[in-house]
Amino acid sequence: MSDRILEVEGVSKRFRKKTAVNNVSFSVERGQITGFLGPNGAGKSTSLRMSLGILAPDSGSVSLFGGPPRASALDRVGFLPEERGLYRRMKVIDVIVFFARLKGVAPDEARRRGLKMLEEFELGHAVDLKVKELSKGMAQKVQIISTLIHQPEFIILDEPFSGLDPVNQKSLERIVKAQADAGRTLLFSTHVMEHAERLCDKIILIAHGNKIFDGTVEQALGEVPRRVILETGCDADLRALLAPYGDVKADGQTPDGNLAWTVELNQRADAQDVLKACVDGQVKLARFEPVRAHLHDAFVHMVETHGQLAEETV
Amino acid sequence: MRAIYLIARREYLSYVATWGFWLSLASVPMFMALGLGLPILIENSQPTRYYVLVDETGGELNDAVRAAIAEQARRNREEALELVTEMVGDDPQVQSMLEANMPEPADEADFVRVHSFEDTTIEALRPYLTGERLFISPSGEETELFAAVYLRRNGEAIEIDYWSRNLTNASLRSQIGRALGDYMRASRLRQEGVSLEVLNAADSLRPDVRELSPFRETADAEITSAERLPFFVAVAVAFGLWIIIFSVVNMLLTAMIEEKGNKVLEMMLSSARHHEILTGKLFGVAAVSFTLLAVWGSISMAGGALFQTAATAAGLPIADIMSSLLDPGLIFPALGYFIIGYFVYGAVFLAIGSLCETLQDAQTLMSPIMLVMMVPLFLVMVALDTPDSPIIAVASWVPVWTPFLMLARLPQDPPMIEILGSTALMIITAIVVIWGAGRLFRMGALNQANQETVKNWFRFGQKKTTG
Repeated sequence: MSDRILEVEGVSKRFRKKTAVNNVSFSVERGQITGFLGPNGAGKSTSLRMSLGILAPDSGSVSLFGGPPRASALDRVGFLPEERGLYRRMKVIDVIVFFARLKGVAPDEARRRGLKMLEEFELGHAVDLKVKELSKGMAQKVQIISTLIHQPEFIILDEPFSGLDPVNQKSLERIVKAQADAGRTLLFSTHVMEHAERLCDKIILIAHGNKIFDGTVEQALGEVPRRVILETGCDADLRALLAPYGDVKADGQTPDGNLAWTVELNQRADAQDVLKACVDGQVKLARFEPVRAHLHDAFVHMVETHGQLAEETV
Repeated sequence: MRAIYLIARREYLSYVATWGFWLSLASVPMFMALGLGLPILIENSQPTRYYVLVDETGGELNDAVRAAIAEQARRNREEALELVTEMVGDDPQVQSMLEANMPEPADEADFVRVHSFEDTTIEALRPYLTGERLFISPSGEETELFAAVYLRRNGEAIEIDYWSRNLTNASLRSQIGRALGDYMRASRLRQEGVSLEVLNAADSLRPDVRELSPFRETADAEITSAERLPFFVAVAVAFGLWIIIFSVVNMLLTAMIEEKGNKVLEMMLSSARHHEILTGKLFGVAAVSFTLLAVWGSISMAGGALFQTAATAAGLPIADIMSSLLDPGLIFPALGYFIIGYFVYGAVFLAIGSLCETLQDAQTLMSPIMLVMMVPLFLVMVALDTPDSPIIAVASWVPVWTPFLMLARLPQDPPMIEILGSTALMIITAIVVIWGAGRLFRMGALNQANQETVKNWFRFGQKKTTG
């Protein structure tokens, strides 16, 4: 059995005069949670649609479960699209059974699973309600149940956290983790980095239709310069002292009368080196704070860098 | 196939489970019953109208009017008796019972003359005519006076002054006019030495026209009304086909717009391909329309059988109509044309629905298609009078009109090459249209195209405005 569930090779897609996706390649490994990150309009949804064969790429190829993304492969995939909705006049259980049957689940089994999942998602009371009677959060849970009801091997969630309140976002994170623990492969797109940082084994960053990063979260964080913030109670100029460890900037005087500094560490240095140099140099430290980079910083840094590069190229 | 079946099933159930469906199902037989029953109801609920007739000649014209109105009432009664006799059979017991219970002409008259006014000048009667005052009718009710009629002679001519505030009901005026017209002619003929009987006999002289078919031997060449019926029935079926296709494809359009608005389409696309969704929807709504047709057809058949005697008695050749309707030479082509016509128009309407967020958006795109759809409706009406018109023959080659026009032409036995050629062209067009609609649907479903996209296709050569 191949370890790669999805393999996208050099796909491009244009809509009239706009290139939505430009020569993008990536793969999704079995059993991993892969985050597909990028700002709005970056080409995430188009890439996901091409991955499932909903859209045909202008060039490049897609391999899903080792073959072209045919309709038969969709039974093994659970897809929650960004633009999602349900038949408003149908009962909750009927909608779930309908989507399960579309994926090949037998009617009785679909109903049994639907009732069980509704209980698990704390929607047991809503079985016979019509979709139009549900709140937005409840409807989103029903959509997620409809996506997972056929127990797919590969789950694709397009912006699953959008429109959810913090409680429901947390609840969805638990669902994603539970599915991963059950051995399923997940690919989800988002522009909220906190979710990706907490959940993903691997991230793919896309901006302006181009892939700009593909790797682990740690690797992504490595792309952002690490920083140390210092405040000194003396007039000493730290630039010469700390220059071997990175780029040193004076940030001016703080309200307490201290002098503030930021050191952007170079590849070889770490925060301990800076602290040791200050101690050895008898610098009177009022504050020493190594700043841990977040995926958000990496995201912004990479998108900005890519934007500058793109402008320079033009 | 599974996806097509499930989508079709869901579509079907979503319609069948609505009040609107049951209302549509009931509405046609209900309107048919209303159409038949309403005129009878209106006729029976006519109030009795009272009038004053003043004969200023001293009674000569009064007698003529009275005799003519009594004769008309007698004839009405006889016709009603004949109709009932034909319906229930010639049983003497029933006959005598009917005779005994049939109201007398004077009792059932819609217009009753009153003699209770002492002053019959128009000045005196005017308040009763305008409704300012009421009078006690012969049946003891307070009521208005419907009309006051003054008859006078002016030499040989007769003048009638007819006073009434009802400007639309002309029955009484016509009856009196006819009665006095007959009286004037009879008087004149008497002067010339010709009796009214002789004149009536002369009036009733008609040549015996026989319509014959050149395809048969002289002995049995006469064309019967049953042979003429298929032309009318075919046109009626073409009409019906148009109405059904139009109603059903509108259902598709509104359902598609609703689905687009609810953003269900992309959920569906993760489980089924575009063509499966399109086909499933078309089949689902086709099943709805077949249900409607089956129910309406059964009700019509049952109604036809139930009222066959009454219809026959009323002069309607119901058996001939039924046999024309059930003629395999009409019913199978009608079915085929319905299916192809439905799929062509249905696919187009679904594609339009996929491009629009609201019905208002759809209306812009619908207008030209509606115009194209309206054309066969007018041409079918032309075909009723002149089914062999060259315009109809040429228009029936236009693929989107073929289902209606060729159906209307079928009883004319058009050349086989025309039937096969236009049908082949229609099928090819259907395939192309469904393919094109599928592509449009694919773009519309994912919001890659909207009504503006289609409008732009038709803006060739137009100067683009830039902001």
